Amino acid sequence: MLRNIVNLTLPLVVICIIAAIGLGLTYARVEDRIAEMEQHQREEAGAAVLAPLKAHPLEDLQLLESLQGEFPGLIGVFKGLDGNGHLVGYAFVVETKGYNRLTTAVGVDTECMVTGIEMVINEETPGIGGAAIDNDEFMGQFAEAGPEGVHMGVDIDAYSGATLTSSGITDAVNMALDMCRYIKESQGR
Amino acid sequence: MEEKRGCRYEFSKGLVKENPLLVLMVGLCSALAVSTKLENCIFMGLAVIFVLVCSNVIISIIRGFIPYRIRIPIFIVVIASFVTIVDLFLKAYFQPIYERLGVWIPLIVVNCIILARAEGYASDHPVRDSAFDGLGIGLGYTLVILIMAFFRELLGTGHIVLFDHTIISLGTDKMPIIFIMFPGAFITFALMVAALKWYQERRKPKEGGESR
Repeated sequence: MLRNIVNLTLPLVVICIIAAIGLGLTYARVEDRIAEMEQHQREEAGAAVLAPLKAHPLEDLQLLESLQGEFPGLIGVFKGLDGNGHLVGYAFVVETKGYNRLTTAVGVDTECMVTGIEMVINEETPGIGGAAIDNDEFMGQFAEAGPEGVHMGVDIDAYSGATLTSSGITDAVNMALDMCRYIKESQGR
Repeated sequence: MEEKRGCRYEFSKGLVKENPLLVLMVGLCSALAVSTKLENCIFMGLAVIFVLVCSNVIISIIRGFIPYRIRIPIFIVVIASFVTIVDLFLKAYFQPIYERLGVWIPLIVVNCIILARAEGYASDHPVRDSAFDGLGIGLGYTLVILIMAFFRELLGTGHIVLFDHTIISLGTDKMPIIFIMFPGAFITFALMVAALKWYQERRKPKEGGESR
């Protein structure tokens, strides 16, 4: 009985150990490169929506905390400063639900007008939801969304075949606009 | 001499006679899903070929040491390791492709082509034959998804874009979008199966004309 167990488990254990070592070595090789790519992507998305400005993380931690409490999909907030250090807008990185998970960076100016949208993580089905995101005409519809938000079917025509992706991006834009208003209100007080 | 002919047969049978998609009809799930864009299929095909050849070779090497009752878990560990290697590699060096293929790369682990070749072939054939078998079957898979993607992308979007260059353009955007959606996958696939059957029947009209 015991022998039987050992006979069965030993080969499996040996193979798992070999596989683990192999994977460990592979990971060690590519680890830095992957981290670098991800960091690069995040910065690029933050910078792209605020171009040509410089993105700074929001340092008002109390505000950040209350934002995170109010908007669970929030991942990160950046402040956009111009050359003289004046605040000109924000970039919000938010997660919403499309067909899969969507992480979007939305840039807004101080009047809560959308200045740019960039996908950070796009897990939509290639050719379907992905096609909506790659389509400039569809994404362009959000370009001048104002503080009152956008509605599918009213301001936004959903991309055909990708209703869920379209509504996911609409949600992301609305969430960013809500947050912008929230920041303005809390500062106005 | 015979050995050499053997290898060639092991290699070429995967392309048509035992084509995993059109004849054995395994691994359809990923094939239907990724064949929306030609570019994706090139990488998906390469990933499958790599995993198939490596896992076939390793399983063939260790086939003498594997207790029969736990062979499947061992196959899965071997296959999953190679898939993870591909996954990490693509993530590090081909970020845009990695994002587009998304979940289909990790899902190669449960692609039945690979497990079927491990269980049905590599576990009782010598290393060299197994390597050629993996290569042939992998190329057969790649060939079919490339052809599918070619027609789906062309008919569904009106043009074929490869590495940011438009290779072919029909000059219009008003194309039947159904081809890049799921029904289009089934239609294209069924037409390909029908075409292959027609071709095979026509080639040997005398023998077995009524057998099917």
